[in-house]
Amino acid sequence: MSAEGVPGPPLFELRGISKHFPGVKALDDVSFEIRAGEVHMLVGENGAGKSTLMKVLCGAYRADRGAFFHRGEEVTIGEPLDARKFGIAVIFQEFTLVPYLDIAQNIFLGREIRGPLPGLVDQRGIHSAAKRVLDTIGFDIDPRIPVHRLGVAQQQMVEIAKALSQDARILVMDEPTAALSDRETELLFAMIARLKQNGVAIVYISHRLAEVFALGDRITVLRDGRKVGSVSPSETGPDQLVALMVGRSVDTTYARPARPQAGEVVLEVKDVGAPSGIADINLTVRAGEIVGLSGLVGSGRTEVARAIFGADRISAGEIRLFGERIDGSTQDSTRRGMALIPENRKSQGLALARSVGDNIVLAGLRRLFPTGIFLPRRAVQAARAVIDQLRIATPSVHRAVGTLSGGNQQKVVIGKWLNARARFFIFDEPTRGIDVGAKAEIFRLLDKLVHDGAAILMISSEQTEIVRVCDRAYVMRSGRIVGELARDQLTEANIVTLGMHR
Amino acid sequence: MSGRTAVPTFLARVPAGLARVPGVALVLIVLCAGFGVASAGFATPTNIANILVQSTILLLLALPMTLIIMTEGLDLSMGAVLTFASIVFAVSVIATGSFALALLAALGAGLAFGLVNGLLVSVLDIPPFIATLGTLGIAQGLSLLVTDGQSVVGIPRWIDGIYSGRIAGIPLPIVVAAFAYAVTHVLLYRTRFGTYIFALGGNREALKIAGISVRGMLIKVYLFGGLMAGFAALLMTARLNSAHPTAGIGMEFDAIAAVAVGGTSFERGNGWLFGTLLGVLAVGVLRNGLNLLAVPSSAQVASIGALVIVALFIDGLRSEP
Amino acid sequence: MTRAMTDAEIAVRPRLGFSSNVTQALFRLLAAALLCALLASLSDVFMTQSNILNVLRQTALLFLMASGLTLVILTAGLDLSVGANIGLSACLAASVIKATGSPSLGVATGIGCGTMVGLANGALVTALRIPSFIATYGMMWMLTGVTYFYMGGETIHGFPPAFRQLGSGYLLGIPMPVYVMVLFLAIGTFFAQRTVWGQQVYAIGANPVAARLSGVPVPSRLLLVYTLSGAMAGLASLIILARINSAQGDIGEDLTLPAIAAVLVGGTSLFGGSGTVAGTLIGAFILTLVLNGMNLLQINASWQPLVTGVIVLVAVSINARTRRTDE
Repeated sequence: MSAEGVPGPPLFELRGISKHFPGVKALDDVSFEIRAGEVHMLVGENGAGKSTLMKVLCGAYRADRGAFFHRGEEVTIGEPLDARKFGIAVIFQEFTLVPYLDIAQNIFLGREIRGPLPGLVDQRGIHSAAKRVLDTIGFDIDPRIPVHRLGVAQQQMVEIAKALSQDARILVMDEPTAALSDRETELLFAMIARLKQNGVAIVYISHRLAEVFALGDRITVLRDGRKVGSVSPSETGPDQLVALMVGRSVDTTYARPARPQAGEVVLEVKDVGAPSGIADINLTVRAGEIVGLSGLVGSGRTEVARAIFGADRISAGEIRLFGERIDGSTQDSTRRGMALIPENRKSQGLALARSVGDNIVLAGLRRLFPTGIFLPRRAVQAARAVIDQLRIATPSVHRAVGTLSGGNQQKVVIGKWLNARARFFIFDEPTRGIDVGAKAEIFRLLDKLVHDGAAILMISSEQTEIVRVCDRAYVMRSGRIVGELARDQLTEANIVTLGMHR
Repeated sequence: MSGRTAVPTFLARVPAGLARVPGVALVLIVLCAGFGVASAGFATPTNIANILVQSTILLLLALPMTLIIMTEGLDLSMGAVLTFASIVFAVSVIATGSFALALLAALGAGLAFGLVNGLLVSVLDIPPFIATLGTLGIAQGLSLLVTDGQSVVGIPRWIDGIYSGRIAGIPLPIVVAAFAYAVTHVLLYRTRFGTYIFALGGNREALKIAGISVRGMLIKVYLFGGLMAGFAALLMTARLNSAHPTAGIGMEFDAIAAVAVGGTSFERGNGWLFGTLLGVLAVGVLRNGLNLLAVPSSAQVASIGALVIVALFIDGLRSEP
Repeated sequence: MTRAMTDAEIAVRPRLGFSSNVTQALFRLLAAALLCALLASLSDVFMTQSNILNVLRQTALLFLMASGLTLVILTAGLDLSVGANIGLSACLAASVIKATGSPSLGVATGIGCGTMVGLANGALVTALRIPSFIATYGMMWMLTGVTYFYMGGETIHGFPPAFRQLGSGYLLGIPMPVYVMVLFLAIGTFFAQRTVWGQQVYAIGANPVAARLSGVPVPSRLLLVYTLSGAMAGLASLIILARINSAQGDIGEDLTLPAIAAVLVGGTSLFGGSGTVAGTLIGAFILTLVLNGMNLLQINASWQPLVTGVIVLVAVSINARTRRTDE
């Protein structure tokens, strides 16, 4: 399915886009062409820069360097309004739909067609206008149906219709088939075909190799913020694509030490399922080992972590810690020596307004003060010990934890569990948002923990991390574990291949 | 990440509100049946007419309360503002003898409080229940001050006609209430304002992205509450032929109860105006029935409290994913 | 999702949460002192012994009502039923004392009733997941109704002298309620600052999700604070009963707003996680001074709910302001 070469300059072009955030270069001299009537696939691992590039395109972010061209003429995109002028519309993963309004009302929110009297809405007008828009994408549905009654796929169609009704000529879709069934995906593809015929350009971000090759007219691969390839699907194959996505230089500042032989079984998860969307989960973790849990965003890894920790309830199976069945509350898990370092440390791991000391001792209060009487001095002492041990950079134990840097905040979260004498740790994206230099330090910390006999389950979206740090790894996809990779099979390519939808 | 299966089109066309009919209608039917059996005087035409007329004041409060609750807000000051507006009306009509002036004064008082509420919530970011709790105190204080704790008497007799009069055989209050209902219905379901009310509760971000001023909307919805409190004050003063500084206290509670029982949710930007109407009737029937059974009003309040909690509980059950 | 800050950025950012609890308390005490000076200059009666004792007694009463409420607000919750709870507890206690002649049974009833109400509130909030302001609002009306129904418009009065000592008695020239106040100031502060539970309560208010993920049993602690709030309301009801020596249906009216005002003026944030019991004492003192001053200046008593309402709004908007600039 390739479009014949469209003569003339591309509909829209980004040239030499660079964007950096403190400590990390998100985009480095990336160029990207968008042609009318073409589906341009944007692929790359998590963190490769895909969403950053799209945010620059739609004006949500300002590029540090680079230029934009509309039909060959240079233009500026400084804010979202500029992007909309050029017909650029992004379909977000979080929908901007109002549940109890109907489809037509949602499509025309803020741009309602006026009725006979001021303030009134021309109901019939917007319904027929909506029907027209829906027809152009082949979505046959009564526009008077309230949106909350629609399935996710249908809601997505409404989002697309909403964008089109604002004369979108470039549609950006981020993992649109993530929540769709096969049948719904077919409908989406049919709609995309129709859009192509109308000359709409589509930028499509996806992890699914099958659809990348089925739908794409052009494929651009990003890696570490750089464009590493821009090919036509006919020129390449899935393996080459994966190779382009994962190949990277090895960071030499962290070298995995020799690990002692794994000890007793610490965690045993048997046939666990939960309403949060996971099923048939079986895994074990032994003392002294770091076990990875990888898979794409949305594959259910965090749900597994929460189920193990007791933050979500399980509907099937059992979980055993140190041989004993746990009852599924966070209080119980904590008492037994389990720790969870959550994905979102600011909103889930820390009380930002409270002091470093208060945060550090929170999980270990019962242990430090078995009588129930709290002694501030002893708490401060304990907190200081942890601060020294982890080398947390803070001027004082009383400083609010919200003032610390990301790396140090993460250390506080980890310190909280050291203080609680945890023996089994679940790390969910431990190095997210942390400077490259600090990452190695976190890894060394993990080493020390297991060296002292702890057991670790580590969730990470960065395959390199998993390969470097873990002894073995499970791979998840769509809420289930689809494979286990032993040390000698643990390569990035294997992880990516297992984790992707075939 | 749960995906729901698509709804077959013919079923999906049923308006969302209809699915709730069982809830509040059932409550209403049960109450009517219960009281009809328990008390001989309940099911008479006179009594039914009484219920309808007496419910009109509550309806005038419950209509804007529905909209306010849809925006995830609450107006606890409505009863106190109603009281104050009625005092303003009474004092004005005695002083000037002009119905029009008195009406304007009452509406002005209501609007003033509505504006304050709206500003507190939208500009100062104060949570609605605390903001309106504060204005409740203020309105109550003003009422006590102006009347020195006494009732305002000496209202011209012709004012009574507002409450006891009829147009084409239909009691005037019911005409007023029906008109108010119609206006609110149009407002909510046929205007941009109404569309945005749904968005305020359902997905505020969507409004912001569409460039609509959330602040402006919030102020308007609380203004609407104040305005209706002003109109309700008119009916209440006419009904009592006087204005008491404690007359309307607690009516906001009945209004909230009516809205909650009627199915409007506190958290999802879903509102059913007809449900509020049924809820008002339910509360009216409950009070009337308990009156007939000589249950003191204090116990009535207790049972309405229980009704609210039950309604919220059921609402919570329904919205469980 | 916000990105992490580098250390360079940290240095420039304004400080958060610098242990300003003490400085804030001193600030408030200063305000109170200024208020006293102002009132003394405006009225000769202010500094008389009887008035000072009156102010102390009122402060004590208000503090007792607001102390348990402080804990609830620390968890970012609200208890609107405090006044109604006091009303019901007082009336029940009154009839028990009248019926049995035993003050101790009355005390037990009062505190017991208050505690049960608190427990019910807690259950609504934790088990039924009803937002606290709605649950306690509904409870408030239920309790009011039950109280009026129970009293049937009657008044109960005339309690045994032993009992009345609690409210109107003096010890070493200082009103009894003040001693109770000091006692519960100590207990309350001890609970909040010196127990594991107290630390957990603060953590819940600051970030309930993080608290839960740190092993804090959030529902149990919430149940605890609502129960304590109810128990303190029960206690306060007894003191009020002892003071005015009578009970009627409307005893609890107009008490909730001042209690909330005392907590907020005392520096506890409505959004949870910060504030102290001692702060509530200062807040109760300031509020009492304001109301006392109004009385002395012979300002119509009807102004009081109004002024209290304004004070609440001012306190909350200051709170909302500082919260926003901190983010």
